[in-house]
Amino acid sequence: MKFLVTKDLAHSTLLTYLMSAVVFAILLYIGLDVILHAYIIGLDRSSIEATLFGDEVNFIEPILIDSLLLQVHIDLFMTLFAILILASIYIRLYANKAMTKWVVHLLFLFGMLAPVMLMLAYFTGPSLSMIWLITFMIWHFLALFVAMMILKKLLFK
Amino acid sequence: MKNLALYTIPIGYMLIYVVLILASGLWLFLLSQGLDSSEGVLHTIESISYEPKPKSLHNFIEVAAPHLFAMGTLIFVVAHFMLFSTNISQKVSRMVSMGVFILALLNICSYLAISFGLVVSGWIKLVALLAFVLLFLVLLGMVAFSL
Repeated sequence: MKFLVTKDLAHSTLLTYLMSAVVFAILLYIGLDVILHAYIIGLDRSSIEATLFGDEVNFIEPILIDSLLLQVHIDLFMTLFAILILASIYIRLYANKAMTKWVVHLLFLFGMLAPVMLMLAYFTGPSLSMIWLITFMIWHFLALFVAMMILKKLLFK
Repeated sequence: MKNLALYTIPIGYMLIYVVLILASGLWLFLLSQGLDSSEGVLHTIESISYEPKPKSLHNFIEVAAPHLFAMGTLIFVVAHFMLFSTNISQKVSRMVSMGVFILALLNICSYLAISFGLVVSGWIKLVALLAFVLLFLVLLGMVAFSL
């Protein structure tokens, strides 16, 4: 973040290329992360509930708490770094916009709520499983929006 | 430098994320040591102290490899914000940051001593884990105080 804040690099072409490349990589990560969670947890009500609570009809055992917590642990780490990089660049480029502050707040809040909701859903029952899906999709769409806004500014200014 | 105050938002959230990562990591460790609904946390800690679960070299490397990278990176990212601090001296920041790095390494490697039978009880892991978490929380507090 120190390199993104410093004024000396404000007109560096190299920094522009580097920021574009890292945002592009994060963009790919966001897409693949959705696919990964579709495989591990599921992205519709029946598959999420079958993963978290099992399905007696189809002989599916509920996911082990160790496996779910490990996924949440990894998700928190990966989300933190992805959002931290996106937010730092977004603030640098859109510091004067009034909505920047709220976009960054929402991005971090939903990024944090998604793994917390997944754990809560596991312990409280099916009612929260859809809340997890909503928070998960919101943070991914917000990250997608922020990444696109950054690339738009960097590549088409 | 325009709107530098906006950067306090990601830094503030980062501190909360790190606390959640630490909490989930602690929980995962206790689960790997036999924590379940029938036995409480204190009983699990007691059993780690007397007889920690055996771990093969394969298991150790499987856990140590990602943690060496992830913990090193996370500590660096958190600690580098102390470069901007005007409330806490660089000397104190340096001592705490290096302390967290050393304790992280000790925390990761402590199970190696148990796996190879150098120590029988799990106290070394518990002490290293507790010291690492507490000092990391101090570092997080220092960053929060500097915001």
